[in-house]
Amino acid sequence: MSYDIQITRQSLNALFDLKGASAAIESWAGNALPNLPDQPNSRTEKEAVELYHIGRDHWIARAPVGQEEALEARLKPNDCPADVSIVRISDTLTFFRVTGSQAGEVMAIACPLDLHDSQFGDDTVTYTDLFGLKALVMRCKDGYELAIEQSFGDMVEDYLARATA
Amino acid sequence: MMLIPCPFCGKRNESEFIFGGPVVAARPDPNAVSDAEWVEYLTIAPNPLGPVQEKWWHARGCGEWLTIWRDTRTHDIVEAPNGSE
Repeated sequence: MSYDIQITRQSLNALFDLKGASAAIESWAGNALPNLPDQPNSRTEKEAVELYHIGRDHWIARAPVGQEEALEARLKPNDCPADVSIVRISDTLTFFRVTGSQAGEVMAIACPLDLHDSQFGDDTVTYTDLFGLKALVMRCKDGYELAIEQSFGDMVEDYLARATA
Repeated sequence: MMLIPCPFCGKRNESEFIFGGPVVAARPDPNAVSDAEWVEYLTIAPNPLGPVQEKWWHARGCGEWLTIWRDTRTHDIVEAPNGSE
């Protein structure tokens, strides 16, 4: 059977991996980032910059690729103190959008998460298992957005196409 | 299927985790134990019929390492037996 969905491969994003205690990161980043999400596996957003809380003392900042240089200039990853780690990882993740009325059914094939509204809200973002790979999953308009390690991009695109054929 | 309780993410499918082996006794001083005790420490892994304490790595999740007690007869994740941590 075929599904009523669209699979869209996204262009590059500006991505920064941030590690450290929340107070240390807030102190260093100042107002360059949104407020740090206080709940595990949630996100906050400010002026097109999103912040994902994806592990203990671990966040990912995401912005349009056009803001990469400006965000890097504000985060100063090469000058940050020893208790904070900031690494630009824009090239490491490939994003896909799975949208359409049956996006949830396709995601149910791909990953074991319970993606019902009551369990996976609009601000939820989490790493999980997607076709056996580590993948970042979140909601987007009309569906879901997922990110996998860049070198698996073609393979996951093929997996999604086969799952929906 | 097991749902493993991650301290950061909550209950998650076992496919997100990698088994890290049973929790074993602390490494003894090889000069302070007999040869038999040393060989036992090196080669004998806990393998009870019942609750066993195990390490798991949330490798396809938040990256947390965690310890659970699993009943080898049922795969249920259980409370630590009395007297255990």
